[in-house]
Amino acid sequence: MSKANNLFRPTEYFKPTSVPEVVKLLAQYGEKGSPIAGGTDLLVMKEPQVEALIDITQLGLSYIKSDAQGIKIGATTTLADIEASPVLSKSPYSIIAQAAHQMGTPLVRNLGTIGGNICNALPSADTMPSLLVLDAIFHVAGPDTKRSICAADFCLGVRKNALETRELLTEIELPVLPPRTGTAFIKKGRVAAADLSLASVAVRLTMDKDNTCRDVRIALGAVAPTPLRAKGAEALLSGKEPKDELLKQVAARASEEIKPISDIRASAEYRRTLSRVIVELALREAIGNITTQNRNT
Amino acid sequence: MINITLDVNNERYQVEVAAYHTLRDVLRDKLGFTDVKNGCSEGECGSCAVLVDGKPVTSCLMLAAQAQGKKITTPRGIATDGKLHPLQEKFIEYGASQCGYCTPGMLISAKALLDRNPNPTEEEVRVAISGNICRCTGYQQIVEAIMATAAGMNK
Repeated sequence: MSKANNLFRPTEYFKPTSVPEVVKLLAQYGEKGSPIAGGTDLLVMKEPQVEALIDITQLGLSYIKSDAQGIKIGATTTLADIEASPVLSKSPYSIIAQAAHQMGTPLVRNLGTIGGNICNALPSADTMPSLLVLDAIFHVAGPDTKRSICAADFCLGVRKNALETRELLTEIELPVLPPRTGTAFIKKGRVAAADLSLASVAVRLTMDKDNTCRDVRIALGAVAPTPLRAKGAEALLSGKEPKDELLKQVAARASEEIKPISDIRASAEYRRTLSRVIVELALREAIGNITTQNRNT
Repeated sequence: MINITLDVNNERYQVEVAAYHTLRDVLRDKLGFTDVKNGCSEGECGSCAVLVDGKPVTSCLMLAAQAQGKKITTPRGIATDGKLHPLQEKFIEYGASQCGYCTPGMLISAKALLDRNPNPTEEEVRVAISGNICRCTGYQQIVEAIMATAAGMNK
């Protein structure tokens, strides 16, 4: 079949059982090889240059583990498994499960993986805002070495990530968070399922005994070329008590730091206003979660 | 081309597939399982849904080669020994099927729901079928049929 027809017609399918095998295949095929896990983006995008499909679901990279150092999620863990995980069911990590629950549809979540969502590097990648505020670290395997990339350094542009052609994302690590840390995630779409975010936000903050906030993280999705942190807004809240008026100012500041576009789903103006609203809602929810934690201890 | 063996509705089939063939393509076009519908090919409509190791998935987004070694159930496979599953009976009784195009996928999502949650709330039913688009019914009769099935099976 001719690639000149712009048809997706890979001719090779591999099912390696080790990460070094995958890396070797990726080096061999370069741009013409693609890892495939759930296929929920690959088989929709149908890029014509792909000749070799490298199935990465048999590498033992589907797991969610918890230990003293935090949480480790294998890159091929499905969104459905993340959504249902007891390990991720409690605050502060539950924002990842909440995000997974609102992605795609129940059918797609049984196939789609967290690694796929991250590596596709869409502006609207719904797992990314939570990963950004949780200071996630991405572990990557390559031909000679392994390396780690901070979530904040991973998405470089629309569909552009920090991996080299021969590298594979293997694990997402979430460090331990201090006590009195609250998180929240809000995604707004047009319909209840199978919709890209119009805007999404994840928030994390720690409240000290004197009621001031530190380690404030506010990350937004679908409102810039990549998911991003609103660092100006974060600085406004850092070290301060989360009073009503300040939260409104923080949300307004966050809505100035984004670069939304107008497309068939929404106008830039709508996205900007929506972002301001959901940042404030998320901050209140995260603070509320800390208060609830305290009551329960 | 790759030779694979597929386990579909408890029977094994040998079939030759291309690397890019999806499970839906192979089930429908090569093995004759026309109960697996061809809708959007993008995982949005749910009409191609099948169970893979008990989990409902859009078969248009799974490579046929990836389905080797897994237990596949197509919509007709929820009936046993020629007897309709209670879900199928209730769909008929409640008028949950008009043109019928979404029905196979709806049955798969409903079967998977009741297998893991025999007593769902209406909200849980609606979430479970949120990946299946229906053009005709407005979903009400489908939801009622699934709730009635659960009630009947829990007597």
